[in-house]
Amino acid sequence: MMSWVYAALARIRALFARKRLDRQLEDQLDAHIAFATEDNIEKGMTPEAARREALLKLGSRDLTRELHSEARGLPLLETLARDVAYGARQLRRNPLVTFTTVLTLAIAIGASTTIFTLAEALLFRDPAGVDEPGRLVDIGVSHKGVGFGSNSYPNYVDIAGRATSFDGIYAHTRFPNGTNLAGPGGPLEPVFVMETSTNFFTVLGVKPAMGRVFDRVERDAAVLSYGYWKRRFNRDPSVIGRTLQLNGRPFAVIGVAAESFHGTGVRAPDIWTPLRVNDSRVAGWLVMGGRLKHGVSRSQAAAELNVIGRVLQAEYPIENKEKDLRVAALSPLPGESLPVAGFLALLMAIVMIVLAIACANVSGVLLARASARRQEIAVRLAIGAGRSRIVRQLLTETVLLFAISAVTAIALARGMTLILVSQLPNLPFPIDLTVSLDWRIVAFAMALSFVAALMSGLTPALQASRRDVLAAIKSDETLGPGQLGRLRLRNTFVVTQVALSVWLVVVAGLFVRALLNASVLDAGFDLTGVELASINLREMGYDAATGAVHARDLVQQVRRAPGVEAATIATVIPGGFEGIGLGGLSVAGVLPPDGEPYFSPTWNVIEPDYFATIRMPLLDGRDFNANDLAGTPPVVILGEGAARKFWPGQRAVGNYVEMMRWTPGSQTPTGKKLLVVGVARDPKFGSLVDGSSNVFAYLPLQQEHLQVWTMVVARSTDGQPLTGVIRSTVETANPNVIVESSQAGADYAALGLAPWRIAASVSGTLGVVGLLVAGIGIYGVTAYVITRRTREIGIRIALGARRENVIMLIVKQGMGLVLLGGVIGLLVAAGAALLLKSFLFGAPALDPLIFSAATLLFMIIGLLACVIPASRATRIDPINALRNE
Amino acid sequence: MTTGHIHGRKLDLLQGTLDLMVLQTLAAMGPQHGYGVARRIEQVSCDRVILNQGTIYAALVRLQHRRLIKAEWGTSDNNRKACFYSLTARGRTELEERASNWRRISDVMDRIFEPPTEEEAK
Repeated sequence: MMSWVYAALARIRALFARKRLDRQLEDQLDAHIAFATEDNIEKGMTPEAARREALLKLGSRDLTRELHSEARGLPLLETLARDVAYGARQLRRNPLVTFTTVLTLAIAIGASTTIFTLAEALLFRDPAGVDEPGRLVDIGVSHKGVGFGSNSYPNYVDIAGRATSFDGIYAHTRFPNGTNLAGPGGPLEPVFVMETSTNFFTVLGVKPAMGRVFDRVERDAAVLSYGYWKRRFNRDPSVIGRTLQLNGRPFAVIGVAAESFHGTGVRAPDIWTPLRVNDSRVAGWLVMGGRLKHGVSRSQAAAELNVIGRVLQAEYPIENKEKDLRVAALSPLPGESLPVAGFLALLMAIVMIVLAIACANVSGVLLARASARRQEIAVRLAIGAGRSRIVRQLLTETVLLFAISAVTAIALARGMTLILVSQLPNLPFPIDLTVSLDWRIVAFAMALSFVAALMSGLTPALQASRRDVLAAIKSDETLGPGQLGRLRLRNTFVVTQVALSVWLVVVAGLFVRALLNASVLDAGFDLTGVELASINLREMGYDAATGAVHARDLVQQVRRAPGVEAATIATVIPGGFEGIGLGGLSVAGVLPPDGEPYFSPTWNVIEPDYFATIRMPLLDGRDFNANDLAGTPPVVILGEGAARKFWPGQRAVGNYVEMMRWTPGSQTPTGKKLLVVGVARDPKFGSLVDGSSNVFAYLPLQQEHLQVWTMVVARSTDGQPLTGVIRSTVETANPNVIVESSQAGADYAALGLAPWRIAASVSGTLGVVGLLVAGIGIYGVTAYVITRRTREIGIRIALGARRENVIMLIVKQGMGLVLLGGVIGLLVAAGAALLLKSFLFGAPALDPLIFSAATLLFMIIGLLACVIPASRATRIDPINALRNE
Repeated sequence: MTTGHIHGRKLDLLQGTLDLMVLQTLAAMGPQHGYGVARRIEQVSCDRVILNQGTIYAALVRLQHRRLIKAEWGTSDNNRKACFYSLTARGRTELEERASNWRRISDVMDRIFEPPTEEEAK
């Protein structure tokens, strides 16, 4: 037993004394030869014969060395080190090949890593700074079996009180709200506040960095995020106990949350405050989550909540109609992860195609190199190197290549991620999309490159190490059966590359086309040159009456401000993510769809000039005007779709609709008759939240309750941003009101198109990359085949063949491959296009322009890749070509 | 572990037998250099074992690592610098154990290939 320990130690020691041990072995072998020679001479041989015999009996000196060092040291480690050194030398010797392969691989691996980074940030990452994230879940509400939405305060209280599967259930507002913080003597500043139930931190297991987090039922307390504390208070510990005026209400700072905790979602709040009570059981404004008790599975919890949901439906049949409770693993995007996952999967698929192209290309290049090195390999095989040894050597080189690419790719991925994030339009709230480089991302890039290396390196290595030793040593330039197989393999690579690249370019083309289509598509309104500024009058102590009056004053002042062409106030703008629920709509003699009691319109509450400001045409009737006031008969403007649906073939203006609204505590809604005074053009894209509704209804602000969120909307005369103008007007009108966020209308409109923009830019960029890589691939193959045939070309020319004919011959063969790959690619692309049809904004899936353009592009690239090496080959002097051997 | 190429048409060496041969040779002959060990093995086997003599050095280093033999540089009879290997105490014990083990195995193998006749068995 002991001896193995000694042996292991000795082996490790031997690693560090390699030079000395090697020299000693050489000395011993020299002595060996000398002794043997002397013996043989004594036996009567001539000195030459004696020495020859001695050498023969000793056998291969290389093999002896190898066996010796295997027995002596750590052979795997040593050969690995040697392989790496050898591989690095090989890579340095072919800088161009190395550069192009590393570049293509780095781009492909980098792109996949980028997508993976985003996916990790959005889907997989457990929130930092919480305890045992595995037991945390999101609790959402589905309506009619779909969705994962927010819940109301009374429902939250009931659910938290009844559920037994949880250690605790918390709730918080869906987004951090922009809020006014009264600075110490200074002006108001916006901060983002998230209201949470007071068990939020304890259920999540978030520790305070300083002070304490909510740990009892409390009001008027505030916990700061570490980032905000650092940014705003410069880590001043005396902030604890200070009072912050948030929207005019005092909150005592009780602590700072742990540095690692940024909230559970992608939208990072600055401050957490306790939830306020809201008695409405209809208003869904709370995102719920909880911690499962030890030993309770997610499905057990789901089953219990399902029952509670049913009971709540029975108890409040109107408020909770068809609302079920659902449970899902805690996610930064509660309820939104499925579409995001789908979108990322699409991007990942595109990126994987590029990686496959790059791998095929590298395979091709390696195969060519291995062919060029056949002699070297054959010699090594002949002197007794094992085939597995050669394969390992070649694979090491490939892995090395990929390792370099992976490192480059990680660096590249950082840049690409930032570019991708910058593709996102300006968001009106802070987001915590930490795209940090963590070990998972590095591991992903490394693993991906390793798999890719194996995939693309194994075939060439196996091919190259075939034991057709004799043929190789003779360096037979005619294409023997072995080489033909190799050629066939390379041809397969070219066909695959061309097919995949055509596919990619077509898909990229379709996305770009769809994007163009969407942006030239008449949306029914126009936000370019319009500024959208959010203010929150409700929070500033205005009630319905005073708020409406202040809002009207405000708009009139904004209209008078320099550079303003038109201005209004609105609650929502079409194309965004927000929507408001004001109630149902009922029309005498018209049945709502799906057995519903009422129509559910997309509501908006506006001041006059809304339609002029966003250039949404009024088709009939009039706009709201100064006479539509709280005391005058209630009026409404409908969208054209609603007007057609309610009174087909008739004029809508002059008819009445009834707005049905639930008041807290009552079982039946109260109705309010509204006179239709106008009909407006429907926007092409409604709110993305309730985009399915095609009933649009507009109410005058003066006759409607003031909403929490209000937007000042102004169109500038010259396209200059109005951010500053609106901000100063708002703050002059009432120093306590500030603009919480301001956004260019174009950015707002871009938000809805962001997924398409990203898809188009990702697939477009990668399409170009794929195109280049495929071009290099075709060129490589043709150039390789031509070098193999230099002698044949020389003979043809010596025998009087014309250059053009020789070029034609070569081009014909090359283009055959390109055509084959192209046809396959087009067929696959056609299939993919039909699958993507619903994403294309009505652009034709089988767009003949894109398909023929892609074909033409590849014909040109293929032709260039064939003609250049061919014409170079035919320019060689035939004598040189023949001497080529 | 590889014992090396043996010119096998004559005799295939079992795994580990080369090490045992080397140990026995050193026990019988006293300190020897690599060539001496190789030549001795060939002679004793009446040239039925023809070593690829290089493999001897891998066996020597293996044994040396396990401290069964030790190496010393010295000069040969004809004044040549050479590395002499000799058994250590551990090597001697190991050799005894392995030799008796080997005898038992070969005894059993003999019986299997040439079962005793009925008279002998009685």
